[in-house]
Amino acid sequence: MFKGFAATLAVVSCILAGSAQAGPRDDRAEVLGTWYRMILELVRHTPTQTPPVASRAFAYTALIAYEATASGSNRLQSLAGQVNALPPAPPREDGATYDEDVVLNAALALAVEVYFANTGPTGQRAKAALSKQLGALTAEGVDAETLARSQAYGETLARAIIAASETDGGAVIENMGFPMTYTLGGEPQDWVPTNLIQLQQAPLLPHWGKNRPFTLPDGEACPLPPPPAYSEDPSSEFYKQAMEVYEVSKSLTDEQKIIARFWSDDPMLSPTPPGHWVAIIFQIAERDAMPIEEQVNALVRLGMAVSDGFIVNCRDKYKYDLLRPVTYINRLIDPKWQPLLITPPFPEYPSGHSTQSGAVAQVLTAVFGDPFPFTDSTHEADGLAPRDFPDFWTAANEAGISRLYGGIHFRAAIDLGLDQGACVGDYVNALRTWK
Amino acid sequence: MIPMRAALLLALLPLPALAQDPAIAPFAEETGPAGFSHSFTGEWEFMVGGGTAVFDCNADSRPDIFAAGGTAPAALFVNDSTPAGPLSFTRQAAGLEETSVSGAYPLDIDGDGILDLALLRVGPDRLMRGLGNCQFEDASATWGFDGLDLWSTAFAATWEQGATLPSLAIGTYIDRAQEAFPWGNCTPNHLYRPKADGSGYDAPLPLEPGFCALSILFTDWDRQGTPDLRVSNDREYYKGGQEQLWHVEPGQPPRLFTEQEGWQRLRIWGMGIAQEDLNFDGFPEFFLTSMADNKLQTLAEIPAKGVPLPRYRDIALKSGVTAHRPYTGGDLRPSTAWHAQFGDVNNDGLSDLYVVKGNVWAMPDFAKDDPNNLLLGRPDGTFLESGDTAGVASMAQGRGGALVDLNADGLLDMIAINRNEPSQLWRNTATGLGNWIALDLAMPGPNRNAIGAWIELRRPDGRIMQREVQVGGGHVGGILVPHHFGLGPATSAEIRILWPDGTVGPWQTLAANAAWRLEPGRDPAPN
Repeated sequence: MFKGFAATLAVVSCILAGSAQAGPRDDRAEVLGTWYRMILELVRHTPTQTPPVASRAFAYTALIAYEATASGSNRLQSLAGQVNALPPAPPREDGATYDEDVVLNAALALAVEVYFANTGPTGQRAKAALSKQLGALTAEGVDAETLARSQAYGETLARAIIAASETDGGAVIENMGFPMTYTLGGEPQDWVPTNLIQLQQAPLLPHWGKNRPFTLPDGEACPLPPPPAYSEDPSSEFYKQAMEVYEVSKSLTDEQKIIARFWSDDPMLSPTPPGHWVAIIFQIAERDAMPIEEQVNALVRLGMAVSDGFIVNCRDKYKYDLLRPVTYINRLIDPKWQPLLITPPFPEYPSGHSTQSGAVAQVLTAVFGDPFPFTDSTHEADGLAPRDFPDFWTAANEAGISRLYGGIHFRAAIDLGLDQGACVGDYVNALRTWK
Repeated sequence: MIPMRAALLLALLPLPALAQDPAIAPFAEETGPAGFSHSFTGEWEFMVGGGTAVFDCNADSRPDIFAAGGTAPAALFVNDSTPAGPLSFTRQAAGLEETSVSGAYPLDIDGDGILDLALLRVGPDRLMRGLGNCQFEDASATWGFDGLDLWSTAFAATWEQGATLPSLAIGTYIDRAQEAFPWGNCTPNHLYRPKADGSGYDAPLPLEPGFCALSILFTDWDRQGTPDLRVSNDREYYKGGQEQLWHVEPGQPPRLFTEQEGWQRLRIWGMGIAQEDLNFDGFPEFFLTSMADNKLQTLAEIPAKGVPLPRYRDIALKSGVTAHRPYTGGDLRPSTAWHAQFGDVNNDGLSDLYVVKGNVWAMPDFAKDDPNNLLLGRPDGTFLESGDTAGVASMAQGRGGALVDLNADGLLDMIAINRNEPSQLWRNTATGLGNWIALDLAMPGPNRNAIGAWIELRRPDGRIMQREVQVGGGHVGGILVPHHFGLGPATSAEIRILWPDGTVGPWQTLAANAAWRLEPGRDPAPN
């Protein structure tokens, strides 16, 4: 992943040390890719960046990158008026010259600073180092007046979007997203903690479903039917679905174990599920040498899809407040059973992986077409081999079923979660980005 | 059901004493009066580290303190305390005043009866030979020790069977050349084994993959007689990593325990390891420090016959030692834990747990005012927080630390090494608590301090507490002093030593409230 961008970084210092190159260059793809390489690391290494929080950061960062690019493009149009609460891009000075590398870099640098403000000392140091490197790269060969104007424009554009984001309900995360106050439901079907971590005796982000979405008309969009009725009767659908999880876990093939781990995307140990999809975009961008406009178009759609996906998903998770397979199976089938994967600390239905993956598949299929073969090497550095997919829905379905293989979701949460994601994706697909 | 906010507030209120609640051991801070003026300083390369080594470097039976300094010179503080008196130290030039020191561990490398010091650094490590009278010289070259140029953050030592020098394991952290993208750039740990002829060390053997170790420990966790190497790694920086356990068998290359051998994947912000047999089953429990959570591991299953698998249950929650957020001071953000050490501060015969806390470096998601913990063991295996009532709830940016009797009164005193703030010393001022005993193990031959031995103490209820004699663990620092045990009301202690060569000593009854020197084949002698 990001081999090209890494190479770009490596030559930055050589470029800077050498003679100034005459005339403007278009380094926006490198700027975008390098900042996103950093973002994917910061998501992994910033404790508040749980998947819903990360999805929001990806959405706003992509929106800033998109609007910055669109503001200087004769191919892309602004999303203002289409995306909830998105302010119009500030106007550019008539007849004035702007350097698009500088505009994009300034906007992204500010976005990363804000949306990853609470990263640790290493992240802060890395951000500063990269900002300095890319600042020097993009400023090279640009006259002082254009540089200042472009820098100010990019920052002004980013600030306006950042200001709008502060009222969406997701700007402040306390206690790593785990509420200080929470009363468990107390009914047999209700979620209960599934691990021995004190902080996670309350569930993650119970109010995330009330956040303002980007593309959905209101908080009631993309509703789901209830899960199968809770029952402890062995002939019930609920019991059967639990038995399916249990029995599959007992006969997992090596391939199924690989699939479970490939899509596990644990927070703090991976770029998170939405980051996994972002990484795929950049692998495709690198392979296909995608123009900058196409990259930001795909990124902004993906960002809003995962973010809106997590909003409706969290809404329904806390609406139905369903227990996890490990709780049910330990209670009724096998008291010693443990799933392959770490059970996430929040209710089961619907599956977050499935909703957000369904949303992404719906969006990326519209962007790239079907079939669209690609190789996913997101987790190579973690020792997981790349996987090939013929299209985005095949990948999304695999992401969904991986949660059953991992023993952390019943089938209904997966199947209906994917459907919910497709519904979210349709709203995103209705956006007009090309002029 | 109690809402969590209410539960949290209740947890912060003073609780009524329970019948089995342990006695609080009060401490008095004596940092200034004791002349202990020192800070571990520095920025990114010194966000971890800050260890202390406590040992007697001038043969006066009073433990002296070596403290890592980061960008400041390391410092040695010679102990002038009078028995049972106030703490008193004098900073002394010792040949150890290196900068870039992250931590240190005492051990007698050359078996001359004078403790040496392994200095871990951001840069080449050094082995400092003790010359006596708290003077040291760099013996790295003499001993063939290649300190490498890495960011060293962990240390452990063991004497492999028949070896004339200890095998040294050094854990390292991040490739510090990787400024913009340090993640996934953990450098290897290394094992230094002595040459066959005992003339020094072979070239360091990389222990790969390295996953940014912040604590390592040779431990005979399965009681098979050969310690393995436990490694606690910081998940912040590794990719594809986890906690590790290495087989280290004499004459064989080290190899990792595998899932097929029972090893279970665990991924935490590992920062420190403390070991103690808390449930008197002969197998040690492990406390692993981390962020927002800490682990207390006990073996999942001990078979009636055969060898246990390295599978552990986390009993931190039920034992009350998650220590995941401040218990006093009002900052409710999650905690960051570093050094950990077991010891019996109230001499009631149950091990207590000292945990040094401190924000990594302006991390807004974690508590800034993060008090150190002093968790007192109860008979039922749970623990009672006493940091505030004992007077040791320091809010400084802690890193290293030690529990050690500094004034020969049989009470464990306390050290905290703080980053970019003054380090601290507390004297245990308890009176009228339980009895105690201190055991100084000595052996002929190269392993003078009997590293690898097990001390057995038979309790009045017949259960046997077993403690392994180790060099390593904690957070970049350790102690090598007589081994302290609280005895409660007992006026004597039944002791047996399992020596590292497999020799089993006799059960011996020793009088309480004294330090004893124990050597194989000899009668115990007052120390």
